[in-house]
Amino acid sequence: MRASLPRVSVIGLASLAVFLPLGLIFYQSMLNAPFFMPSKTIGAGAFEFIFADSDFWDSFKNSLVIAGGMVIIAVPLGGILAFLMVRTDLPGRQWIEPLLLIPVFVSPMVLAFGYVVSAGPVGFYSVSAKQILGGVPWNVYSLTSIAIIAGLTHVPHVYLYSSSALKSLGSDVEEAARMTGSSPFQVARDVSLPMVTPSLLFSGVLVFFLGFEIFGLPLVLGDPEGHLVLATYLYKLTNKLGTPSYHLMAAVAVCIVGVTFPLVMLQRHLLKNAGKYVTVKGKAGRQRPLPLGQWRWVAAAIVALWLFLTIIVPLSGIALRAFVSQWGEGIKLSEVLTLDHFRTVFEQPTLVRGIVNTVLIGVVGGALAVACYTAVGLTTHRRNDGWARFVDYLVLVPRAVPGLLAGLAFLWVFLFFPPLAPLRGTIFSVWLAYTVVWLAYGMRLVSSSLLQVGPELEEAARSVGATRGQVNRHVTLPLIRFGLLASWLLVFMIFEREYSTGVYLLGPGTEVIGSLLVSLWSTGGADMVAALSLINVVLVAAGLTIALRFGVNLHD
Amino acid sequence: MTKLAVQDLHLSYSDNAILKGVSMALQQGEVVSLLGPSGSGKTTLLRAVAGLEVPHRGTILIEDKPVFDGSKKFEVAAEKRNLGLVFQSYALWPHKTVFDNVAYGLKLRSVPSSEIKQRVDSALQNLGLGHLGDRLPHQLSGGQQQRVAIARALVYNPPVILMDEPLSNLDAKLREEARAWLRELILKMQLSALVVTHDQNEAMAMSDRILLLNNGVIEQQGTPQEMYGRPQTLFAADFMGSNNRIEGTVSEVRNGATLLAGEGWTLWGESRGAAKASGSKATAMIRLERVRVAEGPGENRVRLPLVTSMYLGDKWEYLFHLGEMRLRAYGREALSTGEQWLEIPKNDLWVF
Amino acid sequence: MRHLQKAMLGALLTLAVFAPILAHAQAPAGYPANYADTIAAAKKEGKVVIYSTTDTASANPLIKDFQSLYPGISVEYNDMNSTELYNRFISERAAGGGSADVLWSSSMDLQIKLVNDGNALAYASPELPHVPNWASWKNEAFGTTYEPIAIVFNKRLLSGDEIPQSHADMIRVFTQKTEKVKGKVTTYDIEKSGVGFMLITQDSKQNPAFWDFVKALGAAGPRFQSSSGTMMERISSGENVLGFNIFSSYALLRAKKDPGIGVVYPKDYTLVMSRVMFASKSAKNPNAAKLWIDYILSKRGQTIIANQAELGSIRADVEGDQTLAGLTKTLGATLKPIPVGPELLSFLDQTKRLEFLKHWQQAIKGSK
Repeated sequence: MRASLPRVSVIGLASLAVFLPLGLIFYQSMLNAPFFMPSKTIGAGAFEFIFADSDFWDSFKNSLVIAGGMVIIAVPLGGILAFLMVRTDLPGRQWIEPLLLIPVFVSPMVLAFGYVVSAGPVGFYSVSAKQILGGVPWNVYSLTSIAIIAGLTHVPHVYLYSSSALKSLGSDVEEAARMTGSSPFQVARDVSLPMVTPSLLFSGVLVFFLGFEIFGLPLVLGDPEGHLVLATYLYKLTNKLGTPSYHLMAAVAVCIVGVTFPLVMLQRHLLKNAGKYVTVKGKAGRQRPLPLGQWRWVAAAIVALWLFLTIIVPLSGIALRAFVSQWGEGIKLSEVLTLDHFRTVFEQPTLVRGIVNTVLIGVVGGALAVACYTAVGLTTHRRNDGWARFVDYLVLVPRAVPGLLAGLAFLWVFLFFPPLAPLRGTIFSVWLAYTVVWLAYGMRLVSSSLLQVGPELEEAARSVGATRGQVNRHVTLPLIRFGLLASWLLVFMIFEREYSTGVYLLGPGTEVIGSLLVSLWSTGGADMVAALSLINVVLVAAGLTIALRFGVNLHD
Repeated sequence: MTKLAVQDLHLSYSDNAILKGVSMALQQGEVVSLLGPSGSGKTTLLRAVAGLEVPHRGTILIEDKPVFDGSKKFEVAAEKRNLGLVFQSYALWPHKTVFDNVAYGLKLRSVPSSEIKQRVDSALQNLGLGHLGDRLPHQLSGGQQQRVAIARALVYNPPVILMDEPLSNLDAKLREEARAWLRELILKMQLSALVVTHDQNEAMAMSDRILLLNNGVIEQQGTPQEMYGRPQTLFAADFMGSNNRIEGTVSEVRNGATLLAGEGWTLWGESRGAAKASGSKATAMIRLERVRVAEGPGENRVRLPLVTSMYLGDKWEYLFHLGEMRLRAYGREALSTGEQWLEIPKNDLWVF
Repeated sequence: MRHLQKAMLGALLTLAVFAPILAHAQAPAGYPANYADTIAAAKKEGKVVIYSTTDTASANPLIKDFQSLYPGISVEYNDMNSTELYNRFISERAAGGGSADVLWSSSMDLQIKLVNDGNALAYASPELPHVPNWASWKNEAFGTTYEPIAIVFNKRLLSGDEIPQSHADMIRVFTQKTEKVKGKVTTYDIEKSGVGFMLITQDSKQNPAFWDFVKALGAAGPRFQSSSGTMMERISSGENVLGFNIFSSYALLRAKKDPGIGVVYPKDYTLVMSRVMFASKSAKNPNAAKLWIDYILSKRGQTIIANQAELGSIRADVEGDQTLAGLTKTLGATLKPIPVGPELLSFLDQTKRLEFLKHWQQAIKGSK
């Protein structure tokens, strides 16, 4: 099959950006010392070590449990929430939407910490529960709780993909179901959600990956009872043998990546057999919200419950921690309120610079990243050839590598590849690392917008003589401008809270809010961490609300 | 000159063969309809000519220049074929005005903007859209959108214009007016057009020639009169017009006429298609309008009870039924139930 | 407020001591005569790049003061955790790309390893006579702070004899006050934390009843954490009531704002750790690096370390509670500083380390 030069060059660049760091990791896993040490030798020692380490198998099992739990919780909930928000007349939809996205832009470590303050053994909800019930009926530190919290906080990811897909359904299929007697939930279960199976499948696979990668949540919640996951096992490996053992870390990463391939294959297989799903005609059917009738209250209850467990509980924990000098058993809240933490935060010398850098990297870097994701997305748009298959695998793989190791891998790329070396230490290197690691996420956001363009509109352009490039520029891209804006907003939120991926490439002058948070955390300044996070949440939530008010729809 | 020539075209989707060897030619100034039931491959054939589907065998030539050759794996991209294509859904770009929709093709051909303005304005005028240049597609009616789609396909004077079900999205009343108007436009502009339709009336009204497709091959092609008056296969006969089907057994064959026999009746009909042996089963067809209610018994007449009469405005349609024989006929007045004699003229009864 | 007054006092003292020298903007007293050349060369270099685990907020007073002492030399201060520091430095050095001029980390053993691997610049600082012998090695690695390791407890929930006063006393509290402390004792997860591991191995050297201690700890149901921040947060909230091997510098800082935190220096022995600093052999600004090291070890710098950075001064001639001088007065011979030297390397040997970890796990679990 012919592949045009622009298409091949975009795919080529993307492959390079993915394979350079990944290649280094693979190479490293086959050595017994850092690859840049002259004393290294090739061998399977790294794999032997980790396979013989019971911690590895424990953490692998735990990661599987958590990843599986996340899929079981996040996919149905995310789909149902998307259905309720997009297809029904649920009350309060407008202000619920920005709230739904909060878990996306709050650092997971901070969110976990919020759960400790609210619902930990001496958390203030727990203390109240002890007074009322005589004991605390839950344990945030158990593996089940970690899996549940992880699942709940990943609902927005599934929501984002499913809601775009649902937006392109015509009302008639649902109305037909209503006529046969289905309640709104049966309609969701039997008609609407099955028709957006590709989105659900993709987000399910993505969430499963994120499950292998999660670090902040299990670090804070897993430590007390010693539950290890692969990322915290990796963290352990950095210290267990005294000096950081890259070969072991790389071997673990290779195992995780090895899980990628069968998953992507499975996903492609399921999609192929499912045949054609929603095809958007040139004239989309009018969309009328499905009236919920008496089911309104059930739906509202579901949404409220999720909001409570996922947003209110941890955020109230963070908020509380930011305003008190001490908390826990035996503390009367009214006696310990203070604004000191905020004062200290504002005295941090690098705070303002950190905020400015974060906003810059989110806004400018985010826009550039979306441009790259669009270019990659266009290479698979409406094609199902070998190149498209290749890109499907390519984009998911970087996300399989935990942030801890990804950051190191990118440092090596910028250190050891002469053409890139002068760019290290510039913000470009940080941007590149973020963009590659979030490739799967961002590209799929753009792809789902691309799918909403009726194929006939593009064929019509070709029939009047437009080349594929002209079709993309004159027809496709203008039609998805709202989708691109929404992707930009979301990528901004992701970049804004990122830290571990760029940690080795940051320096004074390029620090970001994430690095400030970690720096404060390590000195035990949990109170300032809470204050800074609260400021962060308020800033981003405000920005998000303003953007949504001004007509940036998260889907058009 | 032959504007379009298709030779032995084969096309498959995965393992499904859609076109199984189609050949046709379109001459200058001709309107050819691709007619057939759904699944027959007519839209696929149109899209293959346009370059939006890729066959695996055969050739396509536009103005004697090859744009597809399966044996050489040669293919010209859709955007280079310089054809006009009108989509069933019109596919107007929602973000461009009417003017910009039509002008886009000229812009791509680097036509200077003053000339673009003049040509687009004249195209819009020709189609009665002169005042709508600044509107957006969603502000137009269906009929107006259709005309914009046509203007867009014509403005750069392609050798052939392709139309996919141009009238099916219009309501019934508009459809009749539109087909007359479309035929007039095509004649006036001396276009060569290939039109896909599933409506045989439309095909007959608009075209110079009809290609009837069945399951990926051309069943029969010819002028509308040939297709209607001299169908060569049962399928072709059945597809055109409104028909009565009579099943029976061949009892005698003589000089191009066949005697068909059934339970309590025999009828002479014209032999069509392959020769039939005596005693074999055969199906005969007669157009509704050829059946006549007669006054009494006679040659090639049957007596059947009337089930019901349906008033159609300009005529009545009668339904007769007895056993395995079911006949419909037209007439001028209402008939009371009871038995009637029906004449089946033997030249109008085709036995396949 | 007190903070500010202390700072002003410190500044006045410094000025009083150094005023005559500042007036000349030349080498400080007691320095070799050619020091002025070093200063001139450093000014030409124009900056010093530091990788450090000390957070920027704490280091700021030092940076500002250094820059006022040597205008024209800017300080590029990168703060990161000890693993990141190690990874970044060795990768950058291997690639030959630019890296740090000075490395300053609380992970003593990793620093010694880097020095042992030949990464350090040998430099006989003129301030060396003023720091204790155990605080420097080969003129390459220098201990710069004096941070005792303490026991931290929750003041609301523990009182009287429930508060252990020494390591031996902790065994008593674990075994006799079990209802109070069961499942609520915390310390570093020594597999996850390099610093934690180092402190425990030092304990194994100093505590004659070390393995009994570990078994008692195991019976008490310990909760292991990966950072001192989380440990103190959990002690303060009451989720845990007792923690050990915690940096007193962090604990005291916390206790200032948080009346729930109590700090005890173990009376049988109190480990003292010191943040190790060395200059890189391949430093691009070696002279500026030397100036920085001398500054940190000087009385002026150490005064700020003690009073503003609150990390404890290693010089005997700096006054204050949190200094070698002040603490020696109160704790005397029970202070056991961890020597900056090659003994720290022994547990970096993989076999020995894993052996210790296995023994540790057995002792912790065995008692359950």
